[in-house]
Amino acid sequence: MKHTFLLTAVLVLTGTLAWAEPAPDLEAGKQAYMDNCARCHGPAGAGDGRDSARMFPRPRKLSEGVFKFRTTASGTPPTDEDLFTTLSNGLPGSRMPDFQRLPEETRRQLVQYVKSLSAAFKEQPVPLKFGTDPGPQKANLGKGKQLYTQLGCNACHGNLGRGNGPSAATLVDQWNNPIRPADLTQGWNYRSGSSPKDILIRLMTGIDGTPMPSYAEAVKPEEVWDLAYYVQSIQVEPRWSNKVEAVKETLGWEKAPRTDLRLSGNFYKDGQLLPVTARAISVQALYNEKEILFRLSWNDPSENKQAPADAVTVALLQDPKMKWRAGSLRVWPSANNPAPEITRWSAEEAASGSYQDGEWVVLVKRPLPAEKTAGFGVMVWDGGNSEQGRHRSNSNWVELILK
Amino acid sequence: MYPVLLFKEEMMKRGLKFGCLSVMVLALVAAGNRPQEAAAAGGTVISGSVSVTGNVPAPAKIKMAADPACAQAHPDAVMAQDIVASGGKLRWVLVYVKEGLTGSFPAPAEPVVINQTGCMYEPHVFGIQVGQKLEIVNSDSTLHNINCQANTNKKFNIAQPVKGMKTTKTFDQPELGVPFKCNVHPWMSARAGVFSHPFFAVTDASGAFSIKGLPAGTYTIEAWQEKLGAQSQKVTVADGETKEISFSFAAK
Repeated sequence: MKHTFLLTAVLVLTGTLAWAEPAPDLEAGKQAYMDNCARCHGPAGAGDGRDSARMFPRPRKLSEGVFKFRTTASGTPPTDEDLFTTLSNGLPGSRMPDFQRLPEETRRQLVQYVKSLSAAFKEQPVPLKFGTDPGPQKANLGKGKQLYTQLGCNACHGNLGRGNGPSAATLVDQWNNPIRPADLTQGWNYRSGSSPKDILIRLMTGIDGTPMPSYAEAVKPEEVWDLAYYVQSIQVEPRWSNKVEAVKETLGWEKAPRTDLRLSGNFYKDGQLLPVTARAISVQALYNEKEILFRLSWNDPSENKQAPADAVTVALLQDPKMKWRAGSLRVWPSANNPAPEITRWSAEEAASGSYQDGEWVVLVKRPLPAEKTAGFGVMVWDGGNSEQGRHRSNSNWVELILK
Repeated sequence: MYPVLLFKEEMMKRGLKFGCLSVMVLALVAAGNRPQEAAAAGGTVISGSVSVTGNVPAPAKIKMAADPACAQAHPDAVMAQDIVASGGKLRWVLVYVKEGLTGSFPAPAEPVVINQTGCMYEPHVFGIQVGQKLEIVNSDSTLHNINCQANTNKKFNIAQPVKGMKTTKTFDQPELGVPFKCNVHPWMSARAGVFSHPFFAVTDASGAFSIKGLPAGTYTIEAWQEKLGAQSQKVTVADGETKEISFSFAAK
């Protein structure tokens, strides 16, 4: 019983200390919230701001108090610093921007205001420990790879991390909406950082509201730094560019430069943006006197040969200046703008494409453009996500250059 | 080869620094060795069975193809457990005292065990007392996550990647129908009733239940089924009396 008294005393004491802190300036926080956050997260934090339907992932319902990115135990609220980090760094791969443009003081006031929106913060955060980073030299990638399988990461994220594990297709979030496991090869698309430390923290805390569980009660942090480094090692460095360089076919694919293009969807149904699967595509191109051959590869968690089948379209604009008139691929040419020449490949005609462990590789051949440069764009459909017609991933128009 | 497992003692040590859950745990330890005097006092028994009328849909066959470790554990077909009826008798119905109790009932020291075996939860429905330990066990050679989306109690979503792992949790508020699921194996589902007293039971395959040891008095007894809802009735028991009651649900 003595311990109980001691504990009670400690609790009361810490409680008193917390009360002794100056009350946060909620009025200033509220003003900053209305100016910067309400548009997406809604005036009362219900995730229903006027722009919310146009986004995927949807803005978080802050009033519910479920926060993905924490340094705390599963089911406990984030620390002030966790909220400050999310606010300051944004969430890549979502529409949550970084708010570096706001003074630090305002960001801290925002943190306090966000906390006032949810009863979840009546509970205390339970910060976890993350051990010591061994550094890249000492990290054992081989052991990390073993852990990847032993800890069951592959069940959702797939053997090669492409988000195509056997359980991937059936995952739902806390609100029963379908949700995808992260494609771990796309470090640039990790919401809360792609460094080994970020990865380790996500593994230990879990990502609340999603199927990603906390491993804090299964492993010690010291044991999984190797895994964090391994996951970092499978990230593919993107080569973003607005130019695709085609080279002579005699050089072969090994010498053909690879360009990565970002993809996004902009198809709305009932006023809501429909999510798309493909977020990036790699393009290489070879040509001879008559033809140009594109090698297109992108990650897709499932192979779908029946309608709606996986598909890709290559669009060429012979006059590259026309791309300005046509706008981005998102604006399909109108009556005033002639339609670009397109070549569509579908998984039904699999001869020119192959699917392996979460990746499509497709070859598309076209007559050689008349000029040395042309406008180039791609569209991708994931049949497994019921994508067809205008529900698809689009690139922007980029420049195709015959070297 | 396997990572060193971090067991409940260590989690508790960590937890002790924070919040009321730890106070609960301490209270539990203090009360742990005391038998449930209150439960023994009355010598009463309320027993009976739960039946179902109408067209009970045939349980869906579970497809475990996504994980060979699960499929291999079952030579025969496995059926969903959300409505299990045989000869008009309903299994997995939680029957409990809803109203009429006074006093407080310390949680027993023995944990309730929920086992993940063959990628199914055993048991599918269970009752547990506030503050009583829930021991979650993985008996499968595959990853399970235990995603507990409680409403009034704390939510948690934890991984058990290795066979033989055990994790202990407690609930600090009464709550009916606390859902447990595994996202890796989406067919896995269990429900818990968290009570502030020990007077609850779950119907067996013949629809039977028995609640023993209530003090003499008048009580509201409720039966809850995850798909069919709840029904209640008033029952008066005298010391030493055995009372038979029955519930009947209508399938939609």
